[in-house]
Amino acid sequence: MNKSLLFLPALLVACSSPEPETADPIPVEPKVVNLYTHRHYDTDKELFAAFTAKTGIEVNVVQAGDDELMARLEAEGAKSPCDLFITADAGRLGLAKTRGLLQPSTSEVLSQNIPANLRDPEGYWYGLTMRARVIAYNKNKVKADAIRTYDDLTKAQWKGRLLVRSSENVYNQSLMAALIAHQGVEAATKWAKGIVKNMARDPKGGDTDQMLAIGDGLGDIAIVNSYYAGKLLASDEPEKQKAKALIALAFPVFHAGVDGGTPIIGTHVNVSGGGVATHAPHKAEAMELLEYLSGTEAQGRFAEGNKEYPVKAGVAMAKELEAFGSFTMDSLNLEALGRLNGDAVKALDAAGWR
Amino acid sequence: MSAVSTRGSRLWTRWSGVVVGALAFVLALPLLVVLSSPLHTAAKDWGHVATNILPSYAWETVLLLFGVLVLGLLIAVPTAWFVICFAFPGRRFFRWALVMPLALPTYISAYAYAGLLGPTGTLTNALDTSFGLRPDIVGLPGLCFVLAFVLSPYIHLPARAAFAQGMRRPLDAARVLGASPWRRFRSVALPLARPAIAGGALLMAMETLNDYGAVKYYGVRTLTTGIFRSWGGLYDLGSALRLCMVLLGMIALLMWIERQAQRNIPRATDQVPIRPVRLRTVQAWSITLWCSLIVLFGAGLPMYKIVGDVFADIGVREWSASLPAFGNTLFVAFLSAICTLVVGILFTFRDRYYPRSRSATRIAGLGYAIPGAVIAISVMALAGAVDRQDLFEAALIGSVGILIYAFTVRFLAVAMQPLAGNLQQQPRSYDEAARLSGATPWQAFRRVNLPILRPALLSAALLVSIDVIKELPLTLILRPFNFETLSTRTYGLASIEQLQQASWPALLIVICGSVPVLLLERFLARN
Repeated sequence: MNKSLLFLPALLVACSSPEPETADPIPVEPKVVNLYTHRHYDTDKELFAAFTAKTGIEVNVVQAGDDELMARLEAEGAKSPCDLFITADAGRLGLAKTRGLLQPSTSEVLSQNIPANLRDPEGYWYGLTMRARVIAYNKNKVKADAIRTYDDLTKAQWKGRLLVRSSENVYNQSLMAALIAHQGVEAATKWAKGIVKNMARDPKGGDTDQMLAIGDGLGDIAIVNSYYAGKLLASDEPEKQKAKALIALAFPVFHAGVDGGTPIIGTHVNVSGGGVATHAPHKAEAMELLEYLSGTEAQGRFAEGNKEYPVKAGVAMAKELEAFGSFTMDSLNLEALGRLNGDAVKALDAAGWR
Repeated sequence: MSAVSTRGSRLWTRWSGVVVGALAFVLALPLLVVLSSPLHTAAKDWGHVATNILPSYAWETVLLLFGVLVLGLLIAVPTAWFVICFAFPGRRFFRWALVMPLALPTYISAYAYAGLLGPTGTLTNALDTSFGLRPDIVGLPGLCFVLAFVLSPYIHLPARAAFAQGMRRPLDAARVLGASPWRRFRSVALPLARPAIAGGALLMAMETLNDYGAVKYYGVRTLTTGIFRSWGGLYDLGSALRLCMVLLGMIALLMWIERQAQRNIPRATDQVPIRPVRLRTVQAWSITLWCSLIVLFGAGLPMYKIVGDVFADIGVREWSASLPAFGNTLFVAFLSAICTLVVGILFTFRDRYYPRSRSATRIAGLGYAIPGAVIAISVMALAGAVDRQDLFEAALIGSVGILIYAFTVRFLAVAMQPLAGNLQQQPRSYDEAARLSGATPWQAFRRVNLPILRPALLSAALLVSIDVIKELPLTLILRPFNFETLSTRTYGLASIEQLQQASWPALLIVICGSVPVLLLERFLARN
């Protein structure tokens, strides 16, 4: 008997695309919503479980990078099982819209819960949680009011003291895109060059690593996302205690014009948000999930569990971040971040920000 | 031999060309998507990419490759020689401990090293307080170090296999003629093992070029990070695919160099295994010390960090979250191993009896050279095109089947390597004898070559499983709903900077991967 034939049944199983029971894309019963998300947080998982408990709608999830997920949506086309696309960057949401991957939707609840600049003007996507790009500084070495604007970071006094991760990261790209929106490419490139000149070391590691570096005296100020700071300040891991004891946060703002011109615009923020997929088989369920995530209960959990800023007014922020007070957020509609991301990367390349 | 089986064999012999050709075509499709990209995907920012990204990123890629290969050879080849040729304390332990890094995914090792010896690492701070030293492994030189150690088994294993067999007589002759041990190693063993070492170095180079996680975290810019910068940052898939072609060009060049290394090699003739030589105490213990250092850096330190983190974050939550991922990991590893093996057997059969099909099977093996994420995009584009035809009820994208297909594309070369190597050692006279006694090519292959291939088949299956267990980008994007593997779980936690929590699934990957690694080692030791 031909022994290699024994493998054939296994091969057939492998090629016949079996679906796990929970993953049936277009069932009639029970109600489901299929989610493609870039977010990996455990808080999200708990929220989905709570949503299922409350509504009986099951949440199926694929987690992957946002660019990959958009490629998957594009490849699947009209047969896509995806109902809701969630990413941790407004720029990507804007891009998904222009690539025709999202459909507009309107909801009284969503318009009420989410401020206008944190959602798409035409209802293609909605911001659900917010993070600010802030400055963590060594409170023993830096005065509390030393950094008022992003431009302040390029001052000569920070030479060799500034820590920031690589420009490969989307958070730096978004910050740069916002700066381009306010001040134009030329001024933004000049700013990035100033940042590179002040770097304490070549960019490496993630946001948390920059704050740990402050703890070990490798630099005095770091550009980080607010929720990483919140998580560090909430952490009881021994390696993080030194940094935790030293760090305070400053919320720099953009100016409308070049060189500190007025008026002040506010601190750069980005959102995690979601939009209903163009070919969503379960649009109603997707909207229900979006509305749930924008509601008081979910917003509170985002804030407490993941240290993100709630978008809904009246929901308390995490207690670790409360100490640093509220701040004025940039009023720029985040749709601009997606439009300008390519320009931002080119300017970062031109400035030599690794 | 019954008449029926003869007729079946005839039929199969005739049709195997068509089947293998079709398979090779299907497996080469993702590569064709990349190579034909200038025809179908516009590259709007190619001007920017070609001037600002390509030169510096390509240069750092070359530096990294050079560093990893030189260091990797220095780590892998001498230890392979020691383990085969000398008796020294702990030799049996080192036989498997030197192979252990194979179970560690590069990104996990890189994160662990950064936690220990990075700018704010625990060992860095300890060294600072005791000696006033502040090492920083996070950077290009440090990455060369980390990758060279974690990838060294790719060279160590084939080098060891080559040293173990077929060199006894030439080495004895050299000794009788008065050559020193060093000279015997340099002038006899090394040249004879050169093809095996070159083959391993090629795999190591491809792994290095393909790496994304470790490279990004260490702030090193390679062509692979350039691909992601163009695609994710500039939203320019066309330029990303063009960079991918540059990467493929680089790999083609490496393959050409490897082929050169295979030429004009005097073939080892005897099958007599080398018997390990007893050494003087000092010499024996220095070898033990050397191997201990290699094991310490290759597996010891990263494992120390991972296990330490697991104990620091002991809790049931992460454990229970990782368990289903454990099952899924084993499931896909098993299916992919079987699938690549079946394809591998068919391909080696054609290679052996119909040398004209060789170029087809070789092209199909090039998937190993393409970054996983790029294969994923091509596979999605292809599967999406099929799905949109509405031929099947269920969609291909998001099915386990398409995931296994992608793994087969990616890892076929890994399976083919031991099979082709083994077949090369089988004398042609075997086939001819079988053919002369009336067997069809397929019968000859099945009844003569295949039984001898059995050890290579096992190696191939184990190597593919190890790779699938560690694989990340393909699994991440092609997986079905609610389908976690250990590597997607580790990545998810690491990407949100929860490194301590990530140690749980990371440890499970290592445990999961060590099973095939140990089996492979024991098995190679016996053969």
